[in-house]
Amino acid sequence: MDRRNFLIKTIGIGAAATLGNTNESVATPINVLSEDRMGVLVDTTVCVGCRNCEWACRNSHNIPTPPLEDYKNRSVFKEFRRPKEYSYTVVNEFSNPQNPLLPIDVKFQCMHCDKPACVSACIVGSIDKLPNGSVVWNSEKCIGCRYCMVACPFQIPAFEYLTPIEPSIRKCDFCIERTKEGKLPACVEICPVEALIYGKRSEIIKIARDKIKRNPQRYIKHIYGEYEVSGTSWIYISSREFDKIGFPKLSNKHAPGVSEAIQHGIFAYFVPPVLFYSMLGTLMWINKRKKELDVEEESNES
Amino acid sequence: MKNKIFITIVILFCSVTIIIGQKDTSQFQNQNNKADNHPSITNIENRSSFFFQKKTGVSHSKQPINCKTCHSCEYPTKNDPCLKYCPREGMMTVHHSPDESPEIIIMDEMSTRFGAVVFSHKLHAQMSEMSDGCQGCHHFNTTGPILACKKCHEQTRQREDISKTDLKGAYHRQCMNCHRQWSHTTDCNSCHLPKNDDFKRKISEEVSRISGKNHPPIILPTKLVFETGYSKGPIVTFYHDDHIKLFDLTCNSCHQHDNCIKCHDLNNKLTHNIVESQKIHKVNKSFDDHHKPCVACHKQDHCSDCHSTKELEPWSHEKSTRFALKHYHEKVACNKCHIRKSQFEKLSIECYSCHKDWKLGSFKHSVTGLILDDNHNSIECNECHNNMNFSSKPTCENCHDDKSFPKHLPGKLRKNNIMNNSKSKITKK
Ligand code: SF4
Ligand code: SF4
Repeated sequence: MDRRNFLIKTIGIGAAATLGNTNESVATPINVLSEDRMGVLVDTTVCVGCRNCEWACRNSHNIPTPPLEDYKNRSVFKEFRRPKEYSYTVVNEFSNPQNPLLPIDVKFQCMHCDKPACVSACIVGSIDKLPNGSVVWNSEKCIGCRYCMVACPFQIPAFEYLTPIEPSIRKCDFCIERTKEGKLPACVEICPVEALIYGKRSEIIKIARDKIKRNPQRYIKHIYGEYEVSGTSWIYISSREFDKIGFPKLSNKHAPGVSEAIQHGIFAYFVPPVLFYSMLGTLMWINKRKKELDVEEESNES
Repeated sequence: MKNKIFITIVILFCSVTIIIGQKDTSQFQNQNNKADNHPSITNIENRSSFFFQKKTGVSHSKQPINCKTCHSCEYPTKNDPCLKYCPREGMMTVHHSPDESPEIIIMDEMSTRFGAVVFSHKLHAQMSEMSDGCQGCHHFNTTGPILACKKCHEQTRQREDISKTDLKGAYHRQCMNCHRQWSHTTDCNSCHLPKNDDFKRKISEEVSRISGKNHPPIILPTKLVFETGYSKGPIVTFYHDDHIKLFDLTCNSCHQHDNCIKCHDLNNKLTHNIVESQKIHKVNKSFDDHHKPCVACHKQDHCSDCHSTKELEPWSHEKSTRFALKHYHEKVACNKCHIRKSQFEKLSIECYSCHKDWKLGSFKHSVTGLILDDNHNSIECNECHNNMNFSSKPTCENCHDDKSFPKHLPGKLRKNNIMNNSKSKITKK
């Protein structure tokens, strides 16, 4: 089954589900790419690593947080951090060979992929790609299988272990509650240097291209997320190669592949998914590994 | 009759035009006068957050700059200036001396979480003299008045044109780049006053703390020794002092994009100290970056001019060119003789090769220390100085069979001989 067919099916299922239990109209089906979907351009040459965005993110998602004052502590940069269940976004620091005094700070969170692996991997349709670009998780449907965690090429979804009966996948939701009210995402709003530019994806890509064109010494010629895994809503520009600042080298093909077919096989023959966890995991790993090799080959060839 | 009517109409039209024209210019002058009266800084109650620098008095449309450099459309208007993307470098701008600039600027237009920033503008302008100057911040300025940041950068983050940073972003980008380098933090409170009821008192305290402050004079090093990666000559001895005095260089002939951290680094107390000039400096800039200031004058392929295996003596005109700079020459700027300044080409050491105007009557011989007697004072120079060669011994044989220089002098020596004076001065050194 090719990707397109699958998407159409998913949309069908999604739309049916929508019709069934919410009052959203059919005209705005979920899991579909809108022309006007939003995105954020992160200029890593501008970010100063103040971590205000980390604070704002927790604050706006009602996660207990130390006062903003405490975030100026830069010792956290000593180790590489990943987004976790209580911190949907993290800032990491990398050395800057051009100027050791101005390290490169990189804010990282869910990329809100255009063709999200997590959405495809989720067997119960608990994660949706909304028309505004956000990829959000829905607690009601989630069965806690954690496929999304394995599928995500950026290792974003985090699992909240505190309440095993009510499983909870935690990740950046693109501040969906705020943007619904017409507000900016909390991180974008607080960033003192406007390293994060929120706008239509098409527009921020133009801005990114233009920045690179006008400052060839400042930026490398690569917009991360423009084509990676078929495009992401959050895109990055940088002065240093992206694999040196914490980003995985990914191909332009969207991440999921074999796993979809397997999941659907599981459903078709109604085999209890639990038995297949390990097998599926292995297969996905092999598949991912294959993709990584593909990428390596691609880059070796070029 | 028809002619008369026509002429009257023309005259009327002309005078109306002139009157309108005058009105226009007088309006403009009024504006200028207004701009010159800066609001008083200490008057915090009625403060306006920005104090503009002096206006140039000429509308920028009349300045020698191509409209298309900044505007994309044919007829830019005030409402729709159709400005192009801001070119950060190579922009025409008005340069003021820091002392002409506003001393203090209070920024509090968007303070939500934090209080106002009392910005010591003059002090920063003084520091930026060696690092990008006014343009470092006022990067998009035509030849007109200096524009405040908020003239172009919008105050709201949620806005139509997201290609241009908003005001909060613009301010912080200017400040943080340097501040986080020398303080190694991004602490908000190092610039922002706390936001509380007491802010008026806090602001006036800050204002009086900064008022009248100047950047302390910069201590110039005499000599800097660099250790480079060039194996044939790792050591470069740079006589900073000489470059300023001998070659008339100003600070920003070389220091144009200096980093604040060069002097200000909270982790490195030594940078304020003169000791710095005695220690060996390691270089880890790119080849081009490091050679840029030097190759403006020095030829890049003459490596051994600067690179050596040991520390070099200061450059001496006498040693290198075998022409000692004495008495008059000592005081003459290099480019008076070496007219092509960029190259300092080799000159002949013959006086006449430069002093082509020396002839009978135009040269006061007494400056050489020898006052010619009347007889010798009225003969042509080349009677004694063969072929106008002033550097070798003059000859008497052209007229006298029995006389020779310096046994017989064609006049008498001056008592306080300049030559001797300057010689003693040189030896004293
Ligand atoms: S980054 Fe990961 S979690 Fe976010 S949308 Fe993409 S696949 Fe899903
Ligand atoms: S708030 Fe902005 S500048 Fe600060 S760490 Fe986050 S992205 Fe970087």
